[in-house]
Amino acid sequence: MEDNELLLQTLRERHSITSVKEGCSLGECGVCTVLIDNEPHYSCLTLATKVEGRDVKTVEFLGDEQLLHPLQVSFMTKGAVQCGFCTPAMLLVGYSLLLKNKEPSAQEIREALSGVLCRCTGYAHIIEAIQDAATFLESATAE
Amino acid sequence: MFVGRDLTKIDALAKVTGKAAFSYDLKTEEMLFACVLRSERPHARITNIDARAALAVPGVLRILSATDIPGKNVYGAIRKDQPFLADGIVRFVGEPILVVVAQNETVARQVLGLIKVEYAEIPSILSTTAAAESPVHVREEGSLLALRTLRKGDVERGFADADVVIEHTYKTQWIDHAFMETEAGVAYPDTDGRIVVRSSTQNIHYKRAEIARMLALPEERVRVLQATTGGGFGGKLDVTVEGFLALAVYHLKRPVVMRFTREESFLSNTKRHPLHIEYKTGFRKDGAITAVKANIIGDTGPYASYGETVCLRVPVHAAGPYEVPNVHAECRMFFTNNPVAGAMRGFGIPQVAFAHESQLDEAAEQLGIDPIDLRMKNALKKGSLTATSQVLSASAGLLETLRQVEPFWRKRRKGRRGNGFGLGCMYYGIGNTGIANPANADLELAEDGTIILHTGACDIGQGSDTVLLQILLDTINVEPRYVVLDRGDTATSQDAGSTSASRQTYISGSAVRNAGIKLRAFLEQRGFYRGTPLSEIYRFAKDEKPLRFDGYFDPPASGIDKETSQGVPYVTYGFATHMTEVQVEEATGACHVNKVWASHDVGRALNPRLINGQIQGGVAMGIGFALMEDFVPRKTRSFDTYYIPTSMDVPEIEVMLVEDPEPTGPFGAKGVGEPALIPQAASLINAVRDAVGVSVFELPCDLERLKILLERRKEKT
Amino acid sequence: MLQRFSSLRPQSKREALACLSDLEDPVVIAGGTDLLVRMKKGESHRNLVDITSINELSGAAEHNKHITIGCASTFHMVSNDTRIRACAPSLAEAASWIGSPQIRSMATIGGNLVNASPAADSIAPLLVHDAELTLESKDQVRTESLEAFIRGPYKTSISAAELLSSISIKPLDGYVEGYRRVAKRAAWAISRLSVAWAMALERGTFADVRLAIGSCTPTPFRARNVERFLAGKERKPGVAAEAVELCLAEIRSITGERPTFVYKLPVLRDLLHAILGGG
Repeated sequence: MEDNELLLQTLRERHSITSVKEGCSLGECGVCTVLIDNEPHYSCLTLATKVEGRDVKTVEFLGDEQLLHPLQVSFMTKGAVQCGFCTPAMLLVGYSLLLKNKEPSAQEIREALSGVLCRCTGYAHIIEAIQDAATFLESATAE
Repeated sequence: MFVGRDLTKIDALAKVTGKAAFSYDLKTEEMLFACVLRSERPHARITNIDARAALAVPGVLRILSATDIPGKNVYGAIRKDQPFLADGIVRFVGEPILVVVAQNETVARQVLGLIKVEYAEIPSILSTTAAAESPVHVREEGSLLALRTLRKGDVERGFADADVVIEHTYKTQWIDHAFMETEAGVAYPDTDGRIVVRSSTQNIHYKRAEIARMLALPEERVRVLQATTGGGFGGKLDVTVEGFLALAVYHLKRPVVMRFTREESFLSNTKRHPLHIEYKTGFRKDGAITAVKANIIGDTGPYASYGETVCLRVPVHAAGPYEVPNVHAECRMFFTNNPVAGAMRGFGIPQVAFAHESQLDEAAEQLGIDPIDLRMKNALKKGSLTATSQVLSASAGLLETLRQVEPFWRKRRKGRRGNGFGLGCMYYGIGNTGIANPANADLELAEDGTIILHTGACDIGQGSDTVLLQILLDTINVEPRYVVLDRGDTATSQDAGSTSASRQTYISGSAVRNAGIKLRAFLEQRGFYRGTPLSEIYRFAKDEKPLRFDGYFDPPASGIDKETSQGVPYVTYGFATHMTEVQVEEATGACHVNKVWASHDVGRALNPRLINGQIQGGVAMGIGFALMEDFVPRKTRSFDTYYIPTSMDVPEIEVMLVEDPEPTGPFGAKGVGEPALIPQAASLINAVRDAVGVSVFELPCDLERLKILLERRKEKT
Repeated sequence: MLQRFSSLRPQSKREALACLSDLEDPVVIAGGTDLLVRMKKGESHRNLVDITSINELSGAAEHNKHITIGCASTFHMVSNDTRIRACAPSLAEAASWIGSPQIRSMATIGGNLVNASPAADSIAPLLVHDAELTLESKDQVRTESLEAFIRGPYKTSISAAELLSSISIKPLDGYVEGYRRVAKRAAWAISRLSVAWAMALERGTFADVRLAIGSCTPTPFRARNVERFLAGKERKPGVAAEAVELCLAEIRSITGERPTFVYKLPVLRDLLHAILGGG
């Protein structure tokens, strides 16, 4: 890892994790969002050296076709995915939120999502999907 | 039954697992990187290019210029007038001059700075006024790209009969598509020596034709595929990276990748036409519209792109979704040295809707008629004559959309100061205007007993892949596990036309249905519905006939008159009503959107959740258009100053659907992609007027402009 | 693409200060949200000194009735810290508006001040609290008021060997405090105007008023003329109106008439009427 390498490039180029997208490279669009210690950060403005010893999560962490995370299922069934370019970032923000707030209101979800831009969906189905996953996770753990 | 259900999109799984491969995700280690050197001047002759320092840098393979283009160095959606690479003259800041091909992106971009271009400036034309008045033109052809006129009845008589006449000038701004994925693509020579390009695009056959023409190759020697595409909205219809990629592969015979930075995308991409709209409407005191006169002037930049299409659509829709006996509308598109204006969701109609809906509300106030009643009174319906004197024979659900919104409208109550409500209606012709715009689709019965749907219809996120499959499944009554989608490959599909003009569900959908009907007849004949498996049918039939079933559909619109625009420009139209509630904070000019109600006549809701998604996205885009988006040529470089709505800017949206079936559409469906956006800004601006008594004539109505308008209102009283 | 540089992660303040003195062309990086953007646009530095591993540089602590905020405190920390919320609510509020949730997890208060954009949201609340900055180098420690520290747009008194290590503010007990900002969209937007205020009221009169306005002047602006005028006066619309005129006049005298004032000054006037007039 080079000193001047950005986390976005490290993930995409060295680790072939292409789910982390580049939309503007100036921290103004949010699609490069990853979780560092479960908090959303812009990987395009994070030096790779910064994450030494820290936990970095990308969307692959949530699940894959064999076993999807409830957020991934909800995003699919609620129409939260249109072009899909902001989807990994939105999923990670949703995951991070639900760790801190098990039953977020629509307004709280809106606030959490305000750092990732979406041009396709108008955000409504994304908010609905996160609420849907929250409900599912709550009832799953309640059992 | 698949039609009418909220089926999950077939591409959703790959997208939620992060596996979906967008163009730049396809980059491999071995790929070269190509990037473009762009003009820094709006209008100049290139007197010298010194690339010696650049060529000396290790890792640079080639620098390509116009002289490296073997075929025609020109492309264009309608008229072929835009050079791939500038040939001695540049006409807008950002115009491509050279393509640098290097070992990797770092070297390629670094090298751009080492190329010295010398310019001799030519006076530049940076406004339509300058274009109209200047003796020097951007183009040899003159100052005007196009002029289209619509004439119906006698507007002078119409105004004479009017009791109230509203007349104003409205101005709208440059808008960028701002898709989240910038333009990108990969290209390589395949084992047959064909040039293969896979890119983020809204069309494939069109691009193949342009590439072939540029390289003087037969089309079969070029293959274009659509990669997973991160949004288009009209900005990926023109050739973006494809020509440069193909040229690089042509010369270097190696795989190449290309992607635009966001700054590059802002700089180079086509834009929504800013329009100057002089608009006059006459009303009788009972509310009937007697006449509409509209003079629209657009800045189309230096090249045609889709300027003629917008020029054609605007007069046709200028009078709005209303029965108007007398209409005179003209649209002029001027060449300038501003950015190239082209296709952007709605092709001029969101701008025009802002004008006609504002006029209606002003008239409603003067006439003492409720804005919803005024719209209901004049609304187009079955049997109405449009502004082109077309008789709407079916699927004209505007009144139903008004009725769906009506209970909310009648119940509205203004809360505290600054609270207001506004309506906006629209209609929009589905498909290209008055010209042939067919789609092909074909079905193949394969040896393994599957049915392959081959379609060139590009899915840009709206869900056409899924909807076309729904249409197919219900037509042929086969279980989904037997059906395979082959989409977006010129090698295996026929032209479906572009994903634009809200046309794919209606036109490709019909083509798919037609192919399906043929296949169903064949399957019926061969006993499939009585239990014979597909693989057996294949085995028995494969030697007697090719097992392909072609579908084709071209909306039977007979076209419009060149001088008067009278005739049948489209076979079917979308109709919609939006109602918006705002809360304006007068101290700051901030306009908060509280809620939107949106009702759309979609003919038939093939997948309600996807339609819902389109409408919500359209509302968000409309809020951006009304309140915050403002692309300033040669200044806007990033999202830092180009604001699109965040999740905090978009309110709860209540979506209602009307199904007034379109007889020529698949299962009665029409289109919604652009209708979703078109009435929103209009509705919002009307809400602002209701909230604070201020008429807005210029977009965006951002908080600074609104505050200034509020101050002026204070001064008057 | 970023130019080549070395990056270091000192584990203590002493180590960081040694880096800043001894290395060639060093610059401090905390969140990186301003610095890396500038570097992507061409600015270059040979050595980036990452101070985010240094625990003593982040967090808020109480010392001698002052609150000391570590320079590497993220805005997320600042907006959620119970002490800051209790003693400087205008600062906590301002912090909650900066950038986006991601930016707030990354960007730091020290970085915001050293970048010194005239639109920096932390400036006005800090002025209201008489913020004093501690600047340290290997051999020296100095303190400077925030007002003196920021010399102009994007210009401060800091030298390459110095680290802005902490910010000290005075809590204003019993004051009514607030913060308002105005921007072109509901989230993630640069402030076009911001106002921070704290008022001590006694039986309907202003005992003490502190007022700072951001994004209006090239250097941080604390409306001292207005503050002096209001001291001892009754809180009522007429008084507020006069105070507002004084404020606008002072701003005009500092910067002259600017194109943006056609919008900003009426907004400021209306916001101040509401804040000062008790409306």
